[in-house]
Amino acid sequence: MAKITINGNTIKVKKGTSILNAAKSIGIDIPTLCYIAEMNEVGFCRICVVEVEGEQDLVSACNTEITNKMVVYTDSEKVKEARRASLRLLAQKHRFDCWNCPKDGMCEFYDILKEHDIVFEEFGPGKGRYDDFIDGTAINQDQTKCILCKRCVAVCNDVVAARVLKFRDDDGLNPIVSPTPELSFDETGCIGCGQCVKACPTGTLFVKDHVTDVEDMLLDPVPVVAQMSEEAAMIIAEELQQFSENVNVREAYSTIKQMGFSDVLDVNTAKDMVVLEDVSALKHRLENGRDLSLISSHCPAAVRFTELYHDNHLNELSTTKTAHMAQAKLIKDVLDHKAKVVSILSCSAAKMEMTREELEGHVDAVLTVNEVMKMIKHRYLDKERHEVDIDNGKLQAALSVASQYQGSILQVENVLQKLSLDIDNKPLEPLNYTVIAGDESKASKGVIKEAKVKIGDHKLKVAVVRGGAQIKAFYKMLEVSNKTYDYVDMMACPEGCTNGGGTPFEHDITTHEVIKKRIEMLCQHTDMAQYDPSVSTRVLYEKHLDHPSSDDVMTLLHTSFSPKESTKE
Amino acid sequence: MKESQVVNELFEKWIEDAKTKLNEDNFFLKINEYLESTHPEICGKCAPCRDGVPRLEALLKEYKEGNATLKTLKEIEDIVNNLRSSRCSVGLDIGKNMEVVLENNYHLLYNPVKKY
Ligand code: SF4
Ligand code: SF4
Ligand code: SF4
Ligand code: FES
Repeated sequence: MAKITINGNTIKVKKGTSILNAAKSIGIDIPTLCYIAEMNEVGFCRICVVEVEGEQDLVSACNTEITNKMVVYTDSEKVKEARRASLRLLAQKHRFDCWNCPKDGMCEFYDILKEHDIVFEEFGPGKGRYDDFIDGTAINQDQTKCILCKRCVAVCNDVVAARVLKFRDDDGLNPIVSPTPELSFDETGCIGCGQCVKACPTGTLFVKDHVTDVEDMLLDPVPVVAQMSEEAAMIIAEELQQFSENVNVREAYSTIKQMGFSDVLDVNTAKDMVVLEDVSALKHRLENGRDLSLISSHCPAAVRFTELYHDNHLNELSTTKTAHMAQAKLIKDVLDHKAKVVSILSCSAAKMEMTREELEGHVDAVLTVNEVMKMIKHRYLDKERHEVDIDNGKLQAALSVASQYQGSILQVENVLQKLSLDIDNKPLEPLNYTVIAGDESKASKGVIKEAKVKIGDHKLKVAVVRGGAQIKAFYKMLEVSNKTYDYVDMMACPEGCTNGGGTPFEHDITTHEVIKKRIEMLCQHTDMAQYDPSVSTRVLYEKHLDHPSSDDVMTLLHTSFSPKESTKE
Repeated sequence: MKESQVVNELFEKWIEDAKTKLNEDNFFLKINEYLESTHPEICGKCAPCRDGVPRLEALLKEYKEGNATLKTLKEIEDIVNNLRSSRCSVGLDIGKNMEVVLENNYHLLYNPVKKY
């Protein structure tokens, strides 16, 4: 323990604590900008500087440990002047077009400038630090706005392990954060997860915009079907209702319907089908040898990660398409040949996914939650008008009311649930997970957990893997241990789709309170035990398709993968 | 002798003899030479130094071009003070040196702008 005085309050704190955390523990907030707890404690921006008695220079609170008897001032005039000076410098090299910026009112940089009352010359649309624009099918970067905080680099390296973004400081006076120079994000091995976008305190990194495309589509007489994941619906409802106690998810559907889509569907039917397809793959595995693991492919970023960096594991991926792709194909091939399909998701990687050759023509655009919110603003939609009639006609009849096999937010549990019902004729016992890598209380850095379960005569071993860095660790573990798993639920975002690259920005990305709440809410309106095989999915299979894994089904619901290359310098 | 060494020696002299005064022409030239000589050392990681030094240069240029005002001087002071919140000794040293320069030659910076 060490004694330390902050702004006149003397407290005892654990040795090794940073000044920032010591201050926080007594309710004193020190502003930060480049800092992400335990991920980016690099001291680049100098916004968190404080005065320490006996020190000539100001020190950064985020990465300076306290020492015994330290006397700290966090808001002296000297400190405030310094913060303002640094912010002014950063602002002078930033192009301001806030009203038109992808950060769209959720900008941390803007907020901190405002909090510090920053005034400087050349305010107004300036030139910015550099004028390069880096393209990508999922992620784009506008260099005019970069403040060189390095947060994105930390996340892309340590959480995602894709190592696309780099802080290039060969020319110290003019460093630049970017993918490999002259190349696009895709060429440099980006998986589209969008975690860098969530980490960026400015509008420098953003998810490729499809709003204009969709708005154009809606002007056309051709019907445009929207299909929305449950996560997206939940988050849109959250945004519409500002986290009121009971978020009404249906409101997301009715608000979107007002935008002029011919139908607004969920993707539950397709999700059910994905479960059924994976169950059939799992059964095949159980009957025909278990020397390879079966790994889910419901996350396009995890698939891309495997194709790029671990292609020796491609034959372990389930060939089932992602639910929104499967459903789009189903709509276009079977139900309504003319329709255009727009997926509304919390995922940015789906924008890259839709450009895959194997999935050509499946969906016509992907909107993230953030883009939908932008469209709602564009249209001045009445957010108060609840419960608009959302009669979706024949598509609804064919594609809604499903959700038989989605009692859990975890795909692995839904697959096992169905397997258990098929083999043992009873619902799945709750699984007991053991965390084998990462830390669930710090889920924003990803986690690997495993569980064992007995179904029929089979002793099954399954795993849940979240976050690119953990995917990498997991593959490595498979390689050195020769272990295999019966089902691996693998996703690239640290907390799955509830934390996808297309979700609203949280200033403190290590706090996952919001995400926890989201998961709780999502679980609320699905009931694990509820199971009625008579509806939708079953009907759909019977009417339009053969049994799972039949030829017909293969073309509609299955896809293939191949090794991909990237260039890193 | 490398140019930066010459400049550093000059600084040592300034620091030793707080009374050293420079004439105007010489002053802006020397300061610019000094700041330029720091460029290769700047690592680019922290804002006060990476963005502060070029901004200082731009502000001094305003003096040379006769466009400086009291605001220019104020900003120079702010940037110099803020160099003391840099991340490493490169920026901190530039800050210390520039503080001495400001102290000893304030008249050269103040006289041209006091009318504003
Ligand atoms: S990044 Fe922030 S400050 Fe910059 S233009 Fe966008 S909203 Fe404005
Ligand atoms: S989207 Fe993911 S992989 Fe691509 S640059 Fe961002 S963090 Fe890295
Ligand atoms: S792109 Fe964004 S997160 Fe990355 S260094 Fe620039 S401002 Fe920071
Ligand atoms: S937050 Fe501490 S230096 Fe940026």
